[in-house]
Amino acid sequence: MNRVQVLAFARMGWRDWLELDVPAYIYVFKVLLACLLAMWFSLRFELQQPRTAMMTVAIVMQSQHSGMVFAKSYYRLIGTLAGIGVSLLLVALFAQERVLFLLSMTIWIGLCTAGSMVYRNHQSYAFVLAGYTLCIVGLPAAASPEHAFDIAVGRISEIFIGLFCATVVSDLIFAKRLGNVMLDAVRRRFRDFTMLLHAASDGVSSSHEPMLLNFVGDIFSLESYRASSALENDGSRARRLRLGQLNAEFMEVSTTFHAFEQLLRRQEKTGRKEVKDGLRILYRDLGEVVAPDGEVAHTEREAAAVAARLALFRTSLGSGFSAVDARLPPDITASQRMDFETGKELLLRLVDELLAYTRTYTSLANRQGEGGAAQVSFNLGRHFDPLAVSLAGVRGALALAITASIWMLTEWGSGIEAITLGVVTSTLFATAFSPTKAIRQFFTGAVIAMALAYYCNFHVLPDAQGFFMLALAISPGIICAAWLATRPETAVTGAGMFMVFLMRLGFGSTYDANPVAFLNDAIADLLAILLSGIMYALIDLSGSGWSRQRTSSALRKLVVDACREPLALRRANLESGARDLVQRSGSARRMGEPEDRLVIDWLFSVLEIGHAVIALRKELNVHGACAPLEHALEAIARYFEAPAGPARDTAIVAVNAAGAAVDASAIAPASRREMRTMLHFIRSALQDDESARIATGGME
Amino acid sequence: MTMPREIAFFDALIPSLVLAFLAAGGITLMLDRMLGNRGIYRYLWYPALFRVALFACLFSAFGLTVY
Repeated sequence: MNRVQVLAFARMGWRDWLELDVPAYIYVFKVLLACLLAMWFSLRFELQQPRTAMMTVAIVMQSQHSGMVFAKSYYRLIGTLAGIGVSLLLVALFAQERVLFLLSMTIWIGLCTAGSMVYRNHQSYAFVLAGYTLCIVGLPAAASPEHAFDIAVGRISEIFIGLFCATVVSDLIFAKRLGNVMLDAVRRRFRDFTMLLHAASDGVSSSHEPMLLNFVGDIFSLESYRASSALENDGSRARRLRLGQLNAEFMEVSTTFHAFEQLLRRQEKTGRKEVKDGLRILYRDLGEVVAPDGEVAHTEREAAAVAARLALFRTSLGSGFSAVDARLPPDITASQRMDFETGKELLLRLVDELLAYTRTYTSLANRQGEGGAAQVSFNLGRHFDPLAVSLAGVRGALALAITASIWMLTEWGSGIEAITLGVVTSTLFATAFSPTKAIRQFFTGAVIAMALAYYCNFHVLPDAQGFFMLALAISPGIICAAWLATRPETAVTGAGMFMVFLMRLGFGSTYDANPVAFLNDAIADLLAILLSGIMYALIDLSGSGWSRQRTSSALRKLVVDACREPLALRRANLESGARDLVQRSGSARRMGEPEDRLVIDWLFSVLEIGHAVIALRKELNVHGACAPLEHALEAIARYFEAPAGPARDTAIVAVNAAGAAVDASAIAPASRREMRTMLHFIRSALQDDESARIATGGME
Repeated sequence: MTMPREIAFFDALIPSLVLAFLAAGGITLMLDRMLGNRGIYRYLWYPALFRVALFACLFSAFGLTVY
C-alpha cells in the first residue's frame, strides 16, 4: 500500500468517526453536563432529592434532537402536574385509609396505562408520568400527610430544574435542529421512492413490499418530528402544515403504486401479453421521467425538474395510451380490454398523485411562497383496539395491586421502592413492540446500575469532598448509561441503568447511604421489574397470535366501513388508519413469522381494495343510487367481515353484476369508465390467488 | 415601585420570583411564536441563543421590580 492509499483510508476513517462516533460523544457530554447542572441547582436550593432533577434530565434527553426534548419536557410537565394534583387529592381523601388509597391509586394507574396506549410518542409518555408521579409524590405524602404539600412542592421544583437544564443544554450546545432532520428525512424518502419506482418500472425489483413497509415507519417518525417541531419553532406554521400534507400525499401515492404493481403482477400470470407489454412500455417511460438513467433527484431543486418533466409526461400520456391501444390485437376479449383500461386508469392516477406529491415536496424549498397552497390540516388520527387498550390498563393496575398487597401484608420496608419501579416498568413498556424483550434489557441495565451505585455509594462518596468531587464520583455511571442509550440496541438497557442508578444514589441534600437499606431497596427494585416482566408475559398484547388476529380484523373493518359508513369516504382515513394499526402491532418488524406475514398481507389487500371502494363510492355519490352497485359493496363488506371462499365468490358475482349494470346505465362516459375500471380492479384483486391465500389464513 | 418578595397563593407563600419566572416564560413563548411565524429567525445566527437571552432579559427585568 502506498502513501496515497493510506491517506485515503485515513480520511475515510476520519469521516466515519466524525459522522458516527462524534455525535454520540457530544450527546454523552450534553447529558452529563445537564445532569450535573441540575444537581448543582438542586443542591444550591437545598432541595431534598437532587436525584429527581437528574432523573428528569435523563428521561427528557433520551432523544438527541432539541425539538424532541422540548416536546418531551412539555408533556413531562403536564403529566407531572396532573399526577401531583391527583396525589394531593388522594392524600386529602384517603390518607388514613390505606386500602382505599391504594385502590383509587390502582384505578388511576390503570387509566394512565390505557391512556398511554391510545396516544403516540410524547403524549403517551405524559400518561406514564402522570401515573409514576403518583408513586413518587403520593406514596411518601400518604406516609406523612402533614408534609404532603412540602413534598409536592419539592418534587415539582426538582422536576422543573431538571426540565430547565435539559432544554437549555440541548438547545444551546451543538443543537441538532429538527428542521434539518425533517428535511433530510423528506429528501431521503423522495429519493428512495423514486428509486423504487424506477427499479420497479424496469421490472428489476422482485418485491417492493419490504420497502413500502419501511415507508410506513418513516411516515410515523416524520409525523412525530413534525408534531415536536411545533415547539422548536424555527420554521413557520405553514411549513408544518405542508409537511403533514406531504405525508398524506405520500401515503396515497404509495398505495396507488402498490395497486398498479399488483395489477401488473396479475397480468404477468394470467393476462394477455400485448396488454402487459403496452402498460410496461408506458410504465418504463414514467420510470425514466422520474429518474433518468437511474439518476434520482437529491434536492428540491432537482425535484422541481422532475415535477416539470412529470407534468409534460402527463399531457403526452393520452397519446401514448392511444398508440398502445392501436397496437392491441383485434381478437382481444372484453375482459382483457378492461384489464388495459384499468391499468390505464391506475397509471394516470399514479402520475397525478406523484405529481402532486412532487410539487408539495418542491414547495418546501421556496420559502417565499409559503402562503401558497391550500392549507388543510392533516391529522393522522388515532386508530387503536379498545380491548387491547383496556387490557393494558388492567395489566398496569394489577402490577400495582400485587406489589401493594405484598407491601401491606408483609410490612415490607422497601415496599414504596418496589411499587414505584413496578409502576414505571409496567406502564413504560406498554407501547413497546416487544415488552418482554424491553423488560429483559431494562433488568440488565438495573443490575449493572446496582453494582455501580453500590461501589459509588460506599467506596467513593464517603471520601468525596465538595461539589467537584461529588460530580466526579457520579460521572462514570451517568456516562456509561448515556453511552448505552445512544445505541438503538442498548437504548432500553441505558434507560434502566439511568433510572436505577440515580434512584439508588446515596445522597439527598446530605450523604445518607446505608448498606442495609441499599440492599433491601435493590432487591425490591429487581423483584418489581421481574413482576412487571411476568405481567407482560401473562397479558401479552403484541406478540400473541390473538392480538395479530385482532389487528387483521381491525384492518378489514376499515374496508367494511369504507363500504357501509356514509361518512367514511375520506381516503386519508383509510390510508393512515391501516398504517397506524400495523405500526402499532409491530408486525412489520417480524416479517419472518407467518402470522405477522398475514397481517402485512391484509394491510396491502385492505389498502388496495379500500382505495378502489372509496373511488367507486365517490362516483356513486355524484350519480345517485344504483342498486346493483350497492349490492356489490355490501357483498365486499361481508367478505371482509368474515373472509372465506364462498363469501369471496358471492362478492365476485356481485361485482360482475354491478359492472354489467354500470355498462347499461346512462351515466356520463367519463365517470362510467372510472366506475367500470374500479369494479374490474376489485374483481381481479378478489380473484387473485394471493387473496385466496390470505382469506383462508395462509393455510393453503 | 417594588413588589412584595412573597405572595400568598391560596395561603401558600410563594416567592414573587416564581411568578416573574412564569410570566417571563409565557411572554418569551408568545414573542417566540410571533417571531417564528414572521420568519425573523432566518436572519439570526443562533436562534436558540437568542431565545435564551430574550428570556434572561425579561426575567431579570421582572426580577428587578421585586428586589
